[in-house]
Amino acid sequence: MKIEHEGNSLRVSEIAELNAVNASNFRDEVRAAMPAAPDSIEIDLSQTRFVDSSGLGALFALYKTANTGNGRERVTMRLLNPRPSIQQLFELTQLHQLFEISRR
Amino acid sequence: MLESVPAERGVSSRVAFPCDLQEARDATRMLRAFLTEQGMDESEVFQCELCLAEACNNAVQYAAGARDPIVAEAICRENVVELTVTDHTPGFELSAPSGPLSAEREHGRGLFIIQSMMDEVHYFRGRHRNTLVMRKTRTHQQHRSMDEATVASLDDARRQIESCQQTISGMARELCFRSESLAAIFRCCAELGRTSDIEGFAHRLLNDLLHLASADWFVLRLLPTGESRLITFAVSSPELRREPVSLERSTEPLSAELAAALTRREVELDCRHNAVPDEPLRAAGAQAAGLVQPLLFGDKLVGTLAVGRREADGPFSVLQAEMIRTFSEFMAVQVVNARHLEEQVHARLVAHELDIAHRIQRALLPRSLPQLANFGLAANWESARQVGGDFYDAIALSEHSVLLVVADVMGKGVPAAMFATITRSLLRALASRSHHPAKLLRRLNELLYEELSSVGMFITAQLVFVDLAERHLVAASAGHCPILIASGDQVRTLSVTGTPLGILPDATYRQQSAKLPAPASVLLYTDGLTEALNPAGEMFGHDRLADWLRQNFPRARSTEQLRDDLAADLARFRGGAALRDDQAFLLLSEKFSVLSAEPPAPPSVSEPAFHLTEFGPPASSAFSALSLPPTAIPHPQFA
Repeated sequence: MKIEHEGNSLRVSEIAELNAVNASNFRDEVRAAMPAAPDSIEIDLSQTRFVDSSGLGALFALYKTANTGNGRERVTMRLLNPRPSIQQLFELTQLHQLFEISRR
Repeated sequence: MLESVPAERGVSSRVAFPCDLQEARDATRMLRAFLTEQGMDESEVFQCELCLAEACNNAVQYAAGARDPIVAEAICRENVVELTVTDHTPGFELSAPSGPLSAEREHGRGLFIIQSMMDEVHYFRGRHRNTLVMRKTRTHQQHRSMDEATVASLDDARRQIESCQQTISGMARELCFRSESLAAIFRCCAELGRTSDIEGFAHRLLNDLLHLASADWFVLRLLPTGESRLITFAVSSPELRREPVSLERSTEPLSAELAAALTRREVELDCRHNAVPDEPLRAAGAQAAGLVQPLLFGDKLVGTLAVGRREADGPFSVLQAEMIRTFSEFMAVQVVNARHLEEQVHARLVAHELDIAHRIQRALLPRSLPQLANFGLAANWESARQVGGDFYDAIALSEHSVLLVVADVMGKGVPAAMFATITRSLLRALASRSHHPAKLLRRLNELLYEELSSVGMFITAQLVFVDLAERHLVAASAGHCPILIASGDQVRTLSVTGTPLGILPDATYRQQSAKLPAPASVLLYTDGLTEALNPAGEMFGHDRLADWLRQNFPRARSTEQLRDDLAADLARFRGGAALRDDQAFLLLSEKFSVLSAEPPAPPSVSEPAFHLTEFGPPASSAFSALSLPPTAIPHPQFA
């Protein structure tokens, strides 16, 4: 997993899987790296082969962390290039309403 | 552990793993590889992998610390993929999804995903075992072509080889597993052969079945031989017992077990839907569900076996149902075997008792007969397989007098032999006190009446006192066959009526005397002779016996020879058929050295004396007795 900062933006990539084994680690590491007032958070899923409900839970937890501020603007959270089956999962679980799913 | 085997019209792969999230993840990866191998498309494989992962993670979460492994299995059939995850925990609640999941809801997401992605989800809760069964209809059926199988990288190739190796070792393990189950069954059988404890065996076998089929109750009811009632034989818990229920008086609607017994088909039970109001298996639980199998041996109904779960959300899987069927068949065979064994043991006990009776009977026959001047004594006794109580005796009372006894204790086996022993002893003790056969019989009856009547037995006996010096005899009978007196070419039948011993408490007896012609032969016998059957079912009969004596007495060279000839002719008449009853006879004959020196008996001996009640047929009817048509009628004993 790779975490990059670009000003107040955070970019996470090289994630093989988000599953019950690694989800909480992923969540904690990203949370720790998160700026106090992030502009955007981008999670690159182009290399991600598998996401389960724990992975979804971690993504949801990060959304909450990023948006728990005092009346600030909503932080853009972007999921990049998820595989079709994973995108279907996001849609199934309504997560696509919280995240911006984009392809580049 | 990974096992990959052909399933019913499909292939399956099974992984057992310890309670750990990483192990669970590895297991689902293996199953993913297996599903990919089966030619499923990426989207289907992902959904299956995800659902398996959710189910496995759930199991790990609930089974934390459990010692038993979690088992995940994928079965690919033509149109459907079945995924199962089995754990050994109290289980979790599977409720129907209430609607789209709100994004904020974290809990229950896994189950929501499973229910959304799968076409069918069943959760079977057992006492110590829960199985989540997920089924998905395959929409994209494609068989992988060689092109698709082309490996993208060295890593992929390595992974594929690894997967193949796992499949092969899995198959080997499956074989191992099956042979172990077989071995267990054989062990049980061997044990059964030694102990004949069919009930303990049934409990062990059926508890194994509960474990294997993830069930938690069983009811085995058997149909005893010759009955038409199902009787509870073994149950997993006492509340499942019930009173025997008749197969005949059953009316619609039928309980599951009666339906299985009467239709001889497997019956599915679901107490929530298809059970009759008074379904006895409801004792397993208001939600109980399961299968009822008829136990059949050939086309013979042996009983029923019901196996199920107290709270089930769905039916048994194909594999589990098959297992229940197999165990039912095995159980039926074992029940039939046990019954045969029981019959054999019983037969052996009976044979043992018969053996004892034979020994007693043999012991009470005189080892040697008294030596008499000018007269010879010879006797024959043949025992039927089923022991009766025939015996004979000859008690010398003086140098020239003898008491001849032939008796038949009604009844079979040891009791009959015991009474024969007592009767013989009493007679030996009483004989010296009186030379009157009628008095002896009366006294014998007094002594034996109580014992005989209390067990419903009686004895017929013929006593003949013979004074050889005076050449006369006195006969008395307690319901026994008459005696035959042969002289020259004539045979007289001396028949004295009398009640058998043990019938009336104060019976009195008559006696009749007759002159003993010269030369003479006296034959005492039991009804085993006259009632002997030839292969055509004809009886030997009194007349044939009298004719035999008439024909053979004049030609005889010795008493022993006469006896041997009679025994041989009786055996020939029977023609190899088994003896139905004991045969005993006692012959008293003039010594033949004396006989041969004398001229044939003068006609005067056939002169009827007033006290001879019957006479044989005229002497002119000379013939071979054994080729006679069956005109003979057994002599009535209770005249």
